[in-house]
Amino acid sequence: MKTYIIQRLLLMIPTLIGITIVTYFIVRLAPGDPIEAMIRNQSGNIDPKAMKESAQKIRERLGLIEYHYLRDRLFGPEKTWKEKPTGVLFGVTDAADKVASAAVGYVQWFGHLCVGNFGESIKYRTSGGSRNPLLLIAERIPVTATLNIIAETLIFVITIPLGFAAARYQGKWFDRASSFVLLALWSIPAILAATLLIGYLGLGGRGLEWFPIGNLHSFGYEKLPLGAYLKDLLWHAALPVVCLVYGGLAYLAKMGRASLLENLRADYVRTARAKGLPEERVVYHHALRNSLLPMITALVLSIPGLIGGSVIVEYIFSIQGTGLLLVDAAKAYDLALMMAETLLYGVLTLVFLLVGDVLYAWADPRVRYE
Amino acid sequence: MSSLLPTTEAAPLARSRSYGAIVWRQLRKRPSAMGSLGIIVLLALVAILAPFIAGEVPIRWVENGQVSWPIFRYLSNGEYAAMLGFALVLLAPITVRLLRSGAHRAGTGGWRWVFLAHLAIWVAVAVSLVAWREPERRYGFYLERAAEAESAWFPLIATPRHPGYESVAHRDEAPSWRHPLGTDRLGQDIVLRILYGARTAMTIGFVAVGIGASIGIVLGSVSGYFGRWVDLVLMRVAEVFMFIPQIVLIIIILAVTPSWVPPLWAVVFVIGVTGWTGYYRYMRAELLRIRSEDYITAARALGIPTWRLLLRHAVPNGMAPILVGATFGIAGAVFLEASLAFLNLVQTPSWGELLNDGRQHLEYWWGWASAGGAIFLTVFVYNLLGEAIRDAIDPRLKI
Repeated sequence: MKTYIIQRLLLMIPTLIGITIVTYFIVRLAPGDPIEAMIRNQSGNIDPKAMKESAQKIRERLGLIEYHYLRDRLFGPEKTWKEKPTGVLFGVTDAADKVASAAVGYVQWFGHLCVGNFGESIKYRTSGGSRNPLLLIAERIPVTATLNIIAETLIFVITIPLGFAAARYQGKWFDRASSFVLLALWSIPAILAATLLIGYLGLGGRGLEWFPIGNLHSFGYEKLPLGAYLKDLLWHAALPVVCLVYGGLAYLAKMGRASLLENLRADYVRTARAKGLPEERVVYHHALRNSLLPMITALVLSIPGLIGGSVIVEYIFSIQGTGLLLVDAAKAYDLALMMAETLLYGVLTLVFLLVGDVLYAWADPRVRYE
Repeated sequence: MSSLLPTTEAAPLARSRSYGAIVWRQLRKRPSAMGSLGIIVLLALVAILAPFIAGEVPIRWVENGQVSWPIFRYLSNGEYAAMLGFALVLLAPITVRLLRSGAHRAGTGGWRWVFLAHLAIWVAVAVSLVAWREPERRYGFYLERAAEAESAWFPLIATPRHPGYESVAHRDEAPSWRHPLGTDRLGQDIVLRILYGARTAMTIGFVAVGIGASIGIVLGSVSGYFGRWVDLVLMRVAEVFMFIPQIVLIIIILAVTPSWVPPLWAVVFVIGVTGWTGYYRYMRAELLRIRSEDYITAARALGIPTWRLLLRHAVPNGMAPILVGATFGIAGAVFLEASLAFLNLVQTPSWGELLNDGRQHLEYWWGWASAGGAIFLTVFVYNLLGEAIRDAIDPRLKI
């Protein structure tokens, strides 16, 4: 098992490098003026002349010369590259020159990453200077992780009995009704559900004011005893978790149903029935346990989608997690922060997948990896 | 006496049914599939004919005894192209049926010729439209002068569309006969916004999934068929895109997209380019299975060139999961686009935008309810169709 884990960790390295390459080149090679993109993000498409004027204003007001300075710090100085010999070598066209300097810039940037230097955030800067995006993200990981772990657990707990019951009563009304309802739930947009939940169940809304909105803890939660702390947490997390959970049920329930059906048709189940075991024992003791295995894989594979979904949920509920940080960074054109976030999501998914694979190898003795 | 012994007689060969025909027959039996297909066609129709349903340009206008049909001058080239394309798609089955007997005797399937002919017609018309036609853009001309005309056929909901002509006096009106779904904060009719949102959703759904599926099919078939290092490299590339959640990738790409790119095409491109990994995985798995089948070996022994082998034999046989995946994919793309508009990351006339507008003012329920209902209906219909197609093809398909 230990060698297996080490092997998997080593296999993660090329993927991780791939993620850094994709991240870097998307951000680096994007054409156009970032300040104009920022204006468009805030006020839509306006005519070019007005765009130029307001871009100039923003540059003056916010001192966004600093922006270019930070961009140069992040990517390596872009202009000097044309003057250097390599620039001439690749300087057949402007684009080739850009790519060449980006390649060298990537190596530099990657070197910085390796020592924990993720650049400087534009949006979150204080009088003392910009902050390292890594620290900004690290502060928020617990929030996102808590949300996703609660949601994932709930999904697993709900879908397994649902899917298995649907398989047992295959073709009966329960099977049909549950699959229809889950499909309908899957089709409700999270943005609508969240809007309604906030509006009609949230504090400060228009209906029942049952749940607080906007954070995962009350003020002074550090002093609460464990029981009250958990209660407080669940009270705050209830609505966002509902939004994360309901859409994910359909897929996993379907998988559970298919998995149990496949096992019920297997030879060993026929043997168990033939030797006169009661039906209950055949299903619950033999078939069901084997059907749980593919569910682990299915659950693990659904994690990237869930984490992606939490970006939207965090935004709507204004929960200070990594997802909201990403949206804020994108709107403020905060390159360093955006890149660090993307890396984080990549790493997070990789780690979850690794955990899933290890769990699978541990649960299924037939799986033997060289 | 031969009529009593039908089995001994050489029966005429039944026309062999193609795979697509078998799946279609299965689908025909399912009410949910047919119902959802009907709603999808209806949605597409409504989206394409939006200017006839709501808008300010009259269809027929009589003034001083002169009859004119203004709307046909106002329809944009893109709208004409979309209408023609939709009509050709609806016509295709009929043309195929007409051609089938002749084509069958000639030993060719009718589909390919019909498809190519339709494509040629469409391209010719679209190109000439763009080259020679300049649509009228004078808005706010007819609605104010409706009283002066002897007869005017306006769209069902006569309401100004151009942003300069929204009447703020009519803002936040509850549903009425004049505005069946009410008006928004700026006095714009909500039916109008839903219709133009449907256009965005349809475009995103079809074009983005088309882009994603094409990339996935090409890379997946190459990767599955050739195996070895090609597969190894492509699989690593796909993993990179699989492990960054799609929405994260989309958010950073949209953030750095320059402002001269039209927002709709930016979203289409981004959703397409980031969403190919699913199709890639299905196609790769199918080809891993198919490449060891006997008919591929036979084709290879006959010396068929590899590209032809892939194009004519291997890939068409692996399309089933792609079809199911694409149907679910359209639903997912509609979701994504609505979410992006909701997050204010793109400015398209979208249902997500409408939902976001209504978020602060839940008391004006008609806005958010229609937007939410439209998203739900579209996504639900596509999901139903996807389930039906999967059950028709193979209930054990794991998608």
